[in-house]
Amino acid sequence: MTAKLKFKDYLGATQPKWCPGCGNHGILKSLAMSWERMGISRENLVLVSGIGCSSRLPYYAAAYGFHTLHGRAPTVATGVKLAKPDSSVWIISGDGDAMAIGGNHFLHLLRQNPNVNLVILNNEIYGLTKGQASPTSQAGQITKTTPYGFHNNSANIASLAIGAGASFYSRTIDTHIEHMQNLFQEAYHHHGVSIVEIMVNCIIFNDEAFSDIENRKEYHDHVVEVKGQEPLLYGKERDRMLHLDANMNYRTIMRDEVNQEQWQDAIKQNYQDSNRMMAFALAQLGHTETPFPIGVLYRDEKKQLQTSWSDDYSTESLKIALRGNDYWIKKEA
Amino acid sequence: MALMITDLCTNCGKCEPVCPNDAIFEGDEIYEIDPNKCQECEGAYDEAQCASVCPVDCCVPLKET
Repeated sequence: MTAKLKFKDYLGATQPKWCPGCGNHGILKSLAMSWERMGISRENLVLVSGIGCSSRLPYYAAAYGFHTLHGRAPTVATGVKLAKPDSSVWIISGDGDAMAIGGNHFLHLLRQNPNVNLVILNNEIYGLTKGQASPTSQAGQITKTTPYGFHNNSANIASLAIGAGASFYSRTIDTHIEHMQNLFQEAYHHHGVSIVEIMVNCIIFNDEAFSDIENRKEYHDHVVEVKGQEPLLYGKERDRMLHLDANMNYRTIMRDEVNQEQWQDAIKQNYQDSNRMMAFALAQLGHTETPFPIGVLYRDEKKQLQTSWSDDYSTESLKIALRGNDYWIKKEA
Repeated sequence: MALMITDLCTNCGKCEPVCPNDAIFEGDEIYEIDPNKCQECEGAYDEAQCASVCPVDCCVPLKET
C-alpha cells in the first residue's frame, strides 16, 4: 500500500510561469488540494489542455498531461477516457480556448457527455496574446482590439452549456479557494461532463474585472451561493433573495421593502438544481449586474452515457460496422 | 508587530517584490514573512503592501502565542 499523497505531491517540478498575483496559481493549488482530498492516484490522473494561459496548467502538475491543439482539448480528452475509462480526465481550458476556436468542440463534448471534468478559466480577455477581446468580454470593455469598447454580445458560458444539454454546470471565483475545492469534488463525483467555470482575474490585461465579486469583505452583497435546494438568499444578513417571477426572470426582493407576510411567502421558493428552466433563468444573471450566482447551478444525474469500448466487438460485427451491409456485388451477366 | 501569511496562500508571488523590507521569501510550501524584518510598512506606506496586493487576503497580523 502506498502512502497517502499530499497536495504538494501533485505539483510538478516546474515552477509556474504565470504573472505574480494571477488567479491561476490559486486554481492549481485548489486542484491539487482537491485531488489530495479525493485520493486520486497520479497514474490515473490525466490533464488535457488547449492553448492559452490557462492551458499551461498541465505542465505544473505531476500527472499525465496533453497540451493539444487550440480548442481541441475536448476531443483528445474524450479519446483518453474511451481508451482508459478508469482514468480521471480533467480538461483545462480558457474562455478563448473553449468559447472561440473550441466552441464547436465544446458543443459536441456536451452532446456526447463522456465522464470528464471541464475546468474553464474565464478571465474575459486573451491574456497569453497580450490583451485582445475574447468572446466573453463585457460590453464596452476597452481592449487592444476594441479601443472604442467591445460592442458585441458576450458569450454566456452558463446559458450556452445548459442550453446545449450539459449535465453538470457549476461556477466559482478564483479567490474562493474552499468553495472551488468543493466544486471540484462535486464535479469529480458527477458522471458525465462536469463543467466548473472559474472567474479569474487577469492582473495585467483585465485587472479588477471581477472586483465586486472577488472582494472578500463585500462579496456577500454581490454573490448568491446556490446550495442544492435552498432558497437563493444572499447579503451578509441574508436579508435579500432572488425570486423567480411568473415571466421566468429572477428579481431581487429585499426583506425591508416588503411586509413580513410577503417575505415569508417568498422564501418558501426553493431553488431546484435539477430544474433546467430554473437553471437557465439563473444563468442569465451576469457579474456586472449583481448578484452573481455561484455554486452548482444545474445537475442532471440521469443523463449518463456509457462511453467505453465494448468488448464484444467480434470480427463479424466490426466488418459490418466498417463496410455496412447495404452494399451489392455486381453479378457477371 | 509583524504580519504573517496563512495557509490560504496560493504561491502566486505577488507579495514578494512589493515588500519594502525584503521580509517575504518563498518557504517550503507557501511564501513566508520574516517577523524580524516586517514593520507592517510603517513609515514607508499607509497600509501593509503585501496585504493590499494579496488576491486571497492571506497576509494577516501575526498573533502572539
